[in-house]
Amino acid sequence: MRDGDVLDKNPHVSRSALEAIHGQVFGWALSRCDYNPTVAEDLMQQAYVELLSGKARFDRQSSLKTFVFAVVQNLARSRYRRMASQLRLVQAVAANTFDETVQPEEPQENDSLWRAVQELPQRQRDIIELVFCRDMTIAEAATVMRVSTGTGRVHYDRAKKTLKTKLTENGARFDV
Amino acid sequence: MSDPDATLRTALREAQSKMGGDQVPSFDSTWAAAERRVGAARKRRGVFATVLVAAAVAALAVGLLPVNDNALPYIDEDDLLGTTRWTAPSDSLLPKRQFDVYQDVPVLIESTETYGGALL
Repeated sequence: MRDGDVLDKNPHVSRSALEAIHGQVFGWALSRCDYNPTVAEDLMQQAYVELLSGKARFDRQSSLKTFVFAVVQNLARSRYRRMASQLRLVQAVAANTFDETVQPEEPQENDSLWRAVQELPQRQRDIIELVFCRDMTIAEAATVMRVSTGTGRVHYDRAKKTLKTKLTENGARFDV
Repeated sequence: MSDPDATLRTALREAQSKMGGDQVPSFDSTWAAAERRVGAARKRRGVFATVLVAAAVAALAVGLLPVNDNALPYIDEDDLLGTTRWTAPSDSLLPKRQFDVYQDVPVLIESTETYGGALL
């Protein structure tokens, strides 16, 4: 950590350390918002704002990467809670106004493995992504997901079993 | 992690990179935007705090202003009564005014007519 780039409100966080994990955090933010890059970048900015303003304070109880992932996760949850409540309001007010329901964009790339992962329950999908795509241990992933390590391990095992079943049914080559 | 895990890892990363995971916005631009947002929020808080402090100071100034004793002096009741005089409209009928309607009782004219042996 260079002395000059330590954040004022977060003495254990440096700009250079955040820059080093920027790509991974973006990938995680992307998966939190249905792979919408604009929203993901906004989530990243919000996460950095939280760190710069000291609202999210890193106290070295985990790795910086785990901490920042957890911040992004919380921001994404808050965002979707707001969106859900706004959507409910709109639906309640104008139930008969809209003829077409807006559907989220489906990923264009739908290979069997990706589809199988996307069909997993949320928690299983999250832990698979954190462990396999973000190089986290199950314990670190569980910290990001705010569950115990034991619960994280259960989600991980179930996810792998489900993946194996689905991929076998589809005749895919992955032996998970 | 076993080899199948490594295979899964590689495949998942490839799939995710196709979903845009490899198009990472530059750290500098994201960081600069975040700093601008922090600066704007700080500015908003500063304006709000200034307004709040100004309102508090104004309220304090009004509340703590010394009361001007000369403006509202204490007035003794007797002194106050001594400074006033009230005259009733009927005072003109009093003796001091040389016109006392009550000085002489008017004498009624005696009746000379009788009824049943008595004067009416």
